[in-house]
Amino acid sequence: MSDKNYSSSDDESLVKAARKGELAAFEELVFRHRDKIYARAFSMTRHEEDAVDLSQEAWIKGWQRLGQFQGDSSFTTWMTRICINLCLDHLRRQKKHRADSIEEMDDESGGVERQIPVVAVNPTAGLERAELRQKIDAALGQLSAEHRTVLVLHEFEDLEYKEIAKTVGCSMGTVMSRLFYARRKMAALLAELKNEKDR
Amino acid sequence: MNQEQQLKLQSFLDGELPESEAREILAWTQRDSAAAGLLAELRNTRAAMAKSEPHLSVPETREFFWSKIQREIRRLEPSKKTAPEISIFAALRRFLFPAGALAALVMILHFRGSTPATDNLADADTPTVETTLASTDATTYRDASEGTTLVWFSPAADNSLVPSKKPTAIN
Repeated sequence: MSDKNYSSSDDESLVKAARKGELAAFEELVFRHRDKIYARAFSMTRHEEDAVDLSQEAWIKGWQRLGQFQGDSSFTTWMTRICINLCLDHLRRQKKHRADSIEEMDDESGGVERQIPVVAVNPTAGLERAELRQKIDAALGQLSAEHRTVLVLHEFEDLEYKEIAKTVGCSMGTVMSRLFYARRKMAALLAELKNEKDR
Repeated sequence: MNQEQQLKLQSFLDGELPESEAREILAWTQRDSAAAGLLAELRNTRAAMAKSEPHLSVPETREFFWSKIQREIRRLEPSKKTAPEISIFAALRRFLFPAGALAALVMILHFRGSTPATDNLADADTPTVETTLASTDATTYRDASEGTTLVWFSPAADNSLVPSKKPTAIN
C-alpha cells in the first residue's frame, strides 16, 4: 500500500485507486463523505450510536462492493443507497422486536390524517435556514420510522413513489398513504413549534 | 374529501399524475376551497423540507471513525484470498505429466506388442515391475502369464517409494 497523498484527488480517481486496493484512497473518500452518510443514517434511525454503526457498516460494504460501482450515479449517491438499505434492514429487525405491526399502524393512520385540521398559515414562513433545519429535525424525530423513512426518501433523496416502493418493499399505495400522513403530521408539528415560539 | 381524492392531490403536487388527470385536479382545486387549502399545506411542507435537511457531523474523530472501518476491512480481507491460485506450471506438473506418461506407455506397449515375441518368451512366466519413464514417475506391473498389465503414477514427492528406476524382474 502506498503512502500517496490523496487529498487533492477527485472522487473518481479515489474510487479507481481504492478498487486497486489502495486503502488510503478509500480513507480519503470516507473522510470526505462520512458526514453525509452518517446524516442519512441518523435521519432514518434517529439514534446517534446506531447511525454511527450503520454508517461504518455502509463504508465497509462499500469497500467490499467497489467492483460493482458502475459510475452511473455519483459515488455518494451509491454509498447513500447502501446506507439506506442497511438502515431499512436495521429498522425491520427493530420492528420485529416491537409489538405493533405495520398493518396496525397503517389502519390507525388511515383515519388520523383526515382528522388533522389543515394548517392554513405557513408555519415556516420567515424562518432563517438554520432555524428551519432545527425545526424540521425536531419534527422528524416525532414521526414513526415508517413514515419518516418515506418522507426522507422522497424529500431528501428525491425518489419517486415507484422507487420508494421498490426500496422499502411495499406497494405504491402504501408509499402514497405514508407520505401523505407524514406530511400532514409534519405540518401540524411545525405549526405547534411555531406556536410555542410565538407564546 | 375522501382518501383517494387526498392522495390524488398529493400526486398532483409531486408531478406523479398523467397530464389529463393533472388538469382535472387543477380545475378541482380552483373551485373547491378545501382542496385548495390542503394542497397549499402540502406544498408548504414540501417547500420547507426541500434543501432543509439538518446538517449533521459524525460525533467521532476522523481517526476513531476510520479505525473501526479499517480494522473490519483488514479482518475481512484474508477471506477473499482463501482459494490460492494454482500456477500453470503446477497444473502442468500435476495433470499433463501423468497424461504424457500414459501416452508414452501406450506407445511402448504398442511397439512391444507388434514385435516378434521372442524376448517375451524367455521370461513369459515372470511378472515384472518396471518404470517406463523415470522422469514421469510412472510404474508398470506386467504379468505375461496372467496377461495383466497395471500402470500407476506417483507424485514427484513420493519418488523414494518407487521401487526402481530400471526395469526389474521379480522372480
